[in-house]
Amino acid sequence: MRVVGTSVERLDAIKKVTGSAQFADDIQFSRPLFAQVKRSPYAHAKILKIDTSKAEQLYGVRCVITGEYYKKRAGLYLEDKNFLAVGTAKFKGEPVAAVAAESKEIAEEACKLIEVEYEELPAVFDSLDGMKPDAPLIHPDLHTYKVAPIFYPQKGTNISHHYVLRKGDAEKAFKEAYKTFDNSFYIPHVQHVPIEPHACTAQYMPDGELCIWAACQSPFAVRRALAETFDFPLNKIRVISKAVGGGFGCKAGTTLEGIVIPLAMLCPGRPVKLTYTREDEFQYAYVRQGLHIRIQTAVNKDGKIIGSKNVLAWDGGAYTEYGVNIVKAAGWGCVGPYDIENIATDSYCVYTNHPVGGPYRGFGMSEIHFAIEQNLDMVANEMGISPLDIRRINGIRPGGVSATGQVIDVAGYQECLEKAAALIEYDKPCEPSGNPRKVRGKGLAGGWKAPSMPTDAQSSVIIRMNEDGTFILLCSCHDMGQGSDTVMAQIAAETLTVDVSKITVRTGDTDHTPYEWQTVASRSTYCAGNATKLAAEDLRDKILEVAQIKMGTWKKDLYLEDGYVRRVFYPDIKVPISTFALGLMLPDQSGIAGPMIGVGSYTVPNNIAADIKTGLSPKPVAFWTMGVNGAEVEVDLDTGKVKVLKMVSVFDAGKVINPQMYEGQAEGAMVQAMGTALWEELKLKEGKVMNPSFVDYKIPTFDDMPELIVEVVENAEPTGPYGARGIGEIVMVPGAPAIANAVANATGVRFTRMPLMPDVVLAALKAKK
Amino acid sequence: MKDFQYLLPQTLEEAVRLKEEYDKAAVFMAGATDIVVRMRDYLLTPEYVIDLKKIPGLDGITFSKEEGLHIGCLATMNEIAGNEDVRKYYPTLAAAAESVGSRQVRNRATCVGNIVNASPLADTATPLYCYDAVLEILGPNGKREIPITEFILFVRKVALERGELVTGIRVPYREAEGEFRKIARRDQVDLSTVCGTVLKFGDEYHIAMGSVAPTPLRLKKTEELLAGKKLTKELIDEAAELAPTEVNPIDDVRASKQYRLDMVSYIVRDVLTKLA
Amino acid sequence: MKEYLVKFFVNDEPIELRVPANRTLLSVLREDLALTGTKEGCGAGECGACTVIVDGKAVNACLILAPELDGMHIETVEGLAKGSQISPLQESFIEHMALQCGFCTPGMLMSAESLLRDNPHPTRDEIKKAMSGNLCRCTGYKKIVEAIEAVAEKGVYDK
Repeated sequence: MRVVGTSVERLDAIKKVTGSAQFADDIQFSRPLFAQVKRSPYAHAKILKIDTSKAEQLYGVRCVITGEYYKKRAGLYLEDKNFLAVGTAKFKGEPVAAVAAESKEIAEEACKLIEVEYEELPAVFDSLDGMKPDAPLIHPDLHTYKVAPIFYPQKGTNISHHYVLRKGDAEKAFKEAYKTFDNSFYIPHVQHVPIEPHACTAQYMPDGELCIWAACQSPFAVRRALAETFDFPLNKIRVISKAVGGGFGCKAGTTLEGIVIPLAMLCPGRPVKLTYTREDEFQYAYVRQGLHIRIQTAVNKDGKIIGSKNVLAWDGGAYTEYGVNIVKAAGWGCVGPYDIENIATDSYCVYTNHPVGGPYRGFGMSEIHFAIEQNLDMVANEMGISPLDIRRINGIRPGGVSATGQVIDVAGYQECLEKAAALIEYDKPCEPSGNPRKVRGKGLAGGWKAPSMPTDAQSSVIIRMNEDGTFILLCSCHDMGQGSDTVMAQIAAETLTVDVSKITVRTGDTDHTPYEWQTVASRSTYCAGNATKLAAEDLRDKILEVAQIKMGTWKKDLYLEDGYVRRVFYPDIKVPISTFALGLMLPDQSGIAGPMIGVGSYTVPNNIAADIKTGLSPKPVAFWTMGVNGAEVEVDLDTGKVKVLKMVSVFDAGKVINPQMYEGQAEGAMVQAMGTALWEELKLKEGKVMNPSFVDYKIPTFDDMPELIVEVVENAEPTGPYGARGIGEIVMVPGAPAIANAVANATGVRFTRMPLMPDVVLAALKAKK
Repeated sequence: MKDFQYLLPQTLEEAVRLKEEYDKAAVFMAGATDIVVRMRDYLLTPEYVIDLKKIPGLDGITFSKEEGLHIGCLATMNEIAGNEDVRKYYPTLAAAAESVGSRQVRNRATCVGNIVNASPLADTATPLYCYDAVLEILGPNGKREIPITEFILFVRKVALERGELVTGIRVPYREAEGEFRKIARRDQVDLSTVCGTVLKFGDEYHIAMGSVAPTPLRLKKTEELLAGKKLTKELIDEAAELAPTEVNPIDDVRASKQYRLDMVSYIVRDVLTKLA
Repeated sequence: MKEYLVKFFVNDEPIELRVPANRTLLSVLREDLALTGTKEGCGAGECGACTVIVDGKAVNACLILAPELDGMHIETVEGLAKGSQISPLQESFIEHMALQCGFCTPGMLMSAESLLRDNPHPTRDEIKKAMSGNLCRCTGYKKIVEAIEAVAEKGVYDK
């Protein structure tokens, strides 16, 4: 291959290094209005009365709205969410009113003038509490909400989805086991922390057209959700997404757009803008859901796991319109990349009065693998088997079976395991630190992830040829840094046999770029990549169709190379493809065909929903990407500080389209995982975020970066474009448990809760003594 | 940020006059790294901000063994951390200044600002406490000096009278050995969970800790215990046990109270062990 | 609302503006001058996305008040390239793929530019320390460090 598999320069590189890439907040509007939000000071409260009259009278205020203005609920999978609270406020900071004014300062001032009377209600701050029969109900009308048919809200409870998986006979396996284990873990809420906070501008025109400029990963999903909520036909609502400054999931779905739109509708012609501050971002954008997870394991005397029972209680926050799917995805992946015959899993999505849970890189996998992979080490230690061997014994192999019963034909797990173990020199002790108070250890962790999306999620791509033989590729999978623009250009360039520089990629405009379900789920390289390949092939076919006339031979005897159409038998006979850009002019100067446009539409074939009672499906997902992280750490026995010295990453990418970008994904993911392992937690106290800024929510910085080693395994995905499968999320998944396993290896202390903050570590070390 | 009037005095006298006139409605500004954030968050809503940066002669760092070190109120953290004399004669102060915030912040933030803010976890406070630094104050009634330990009264409360301004810090020179320690979650760009300085002047010891009480503290009992004695393992153990009894930290999002107590003990033990 | 006349330079261009006191250099750059290359990531001096060089020193634009601008020489990411000729540092960032989403990139570049001017051959540890005021969530920092090392290696900043 000529382009696929090479590290071509990012398409957006020059724009981004010169500051000319335009992000949502960078767009300059004439006569903008500024929105600000009045938020609930209570985690759970009935709204008795809202008096907006003083705010309305403030000079410079253009309009004020409350939840009463637009009561229709929204939601991706479960319509449980109001953009502005209706009736009750369900988390601290939930919007209850919003203002549009001539300046940010006036809007802020106006919000202070809005008077709200509340009656505080009993609240739920833990998913296990929320599941109790006497728990206060956060959505008493849950059973009336519109829901996608694969989710099962439980009437009269806080459970918005209960995924049940029953494979084989878990009870029997536990009875027959040589040994059984029972371990519980807790994973707290964390935040995505893209460096670009959410931003959105909406403009409603007198002719009824609405345009939204948003920092968003998934313009089409946003368009649909907003159109339904605000009763727009899809041809009257347009979502534009420019450069996105990091997403990691939090810019999928809808967050602040629904606050801005009703304001814009009341001020026709005026763009209404809302940009979150960092503090807003921490409290009011999506968060990663908290999780209580209990894993019971039945093992035979050889260390083979014969049964697994899992209970997952997810803290979904006040709205779980998106969260329900994470809960399901976690159910599908519940035992990790291990081939276990008998499984019983219950995964519950539970409403709490916490910030709204949403998709986060890994989509449930990072959370469950923190438990799965530590549990494996704990079982191994008890059984007297090395952590490496227990993974060799149980790790999935080609032809193995997933938790839902899917046969995994391509499974590079074992190769990744061996390679990662070699890279971290797992068989050798750590180099001594030179200080007896600083102990070192190594850890391994595996993981897997599949794209969790509707079984029929769609992608489409259009490639237009210009008169000079260059191309414009239109797609709506969105580049938020992961490099999809460059990947699509590489796939198209490969198929069309041209240089990447000939291809310009345009994305992110629902009026002008073709349909894409969402840029999430590590699905873009695969799904949009397949659509790109189809579009390029369609274009190639159309070129050859007219070329055969010009070149006097059958289409089957023609091929593309380096921007020329050549004859198979006489390759020296060649015609530049640009000749056919607008069709073909015949000798009599008449034209045929017309402008060359390639179209590719793609849906994953034969994806089948899981059975409601057993949770089983022979193919609920397109593919599983798997691999292994290794970590070496140093723990300071005096301060409890954990320093990660080295991390290694080996995943089976199928085919790496752009090695340098792949490395970038893997390196960034390891450091992000390290952040969650060591420091990151949204500290919640009765629903209040205690650390809503970078002062006390620490993400890793330069100085924290360990030595990072990235290698790859390539077992081609038969259905992927050029053999590629998605990797963006999985490369983060095993990072945190690898670190926790390394800490346990170093200290003999097991941490079943993230993050491993110095005070927690030190207290545990002292308790062990 | 609430609107305010920005005042740019050209002389110290003018600065003092403005502050005397506007009193609590006015704040002084040097590096601005702290007040801009607090104004942004509406934690500080002054009507007047008096910027000292155009007043000549306040930015110097001078040193002689006789006079000691003098830090002008506009001297930035990076200037202090990079100053040859500070590095040579007050390495703990250089280390503390270098540990504050990011490089960008240190290019603006001043040491005097760090002290006047009177945060219990001000990094440069503990070395200055150990060196018995003195603050030079100018006010409507002229100049006065006050030891740093008497200047910081409580969280964000200092011993300044109406119209007064800290123009600089004088740090007496004494030959010393010892270390500044900062315990934080992240090694770079983080606030101290606990910070501390332990200095040995001959057979006299000065120990100061930050983020363990409403103000930075000198651990007088521990200092007395050590005074004049040879640093044996037993003595160090005793000091490390006594030190935490002199502080009164709290639980917060950064760490538990117990952790802070442990860190006080650890800093004392570790630095003394190195000094022994 | 009182306004203050400030005369300053941005990327060597003289600017005169009347500004209120309660604005920051960051908002002046972005809103008044439409120089949106400089980003706001936190507004509190914690993330470094708004790093610019003022009078030769890297600072956070979000922590400088608008009336302070009088007399300042400010360099922003827009001033790094000369016309369409990007600087060796920018080139190195591209070559090493030291960027993903690109939102932190302008601040990274300005921070690195100022580091290299002060210290043309920093060690890896010096780079990591000096750059720690700039947060990136995408790259894991490795490629940024490599980009800075590579451009230093070429001697571009030798005095």
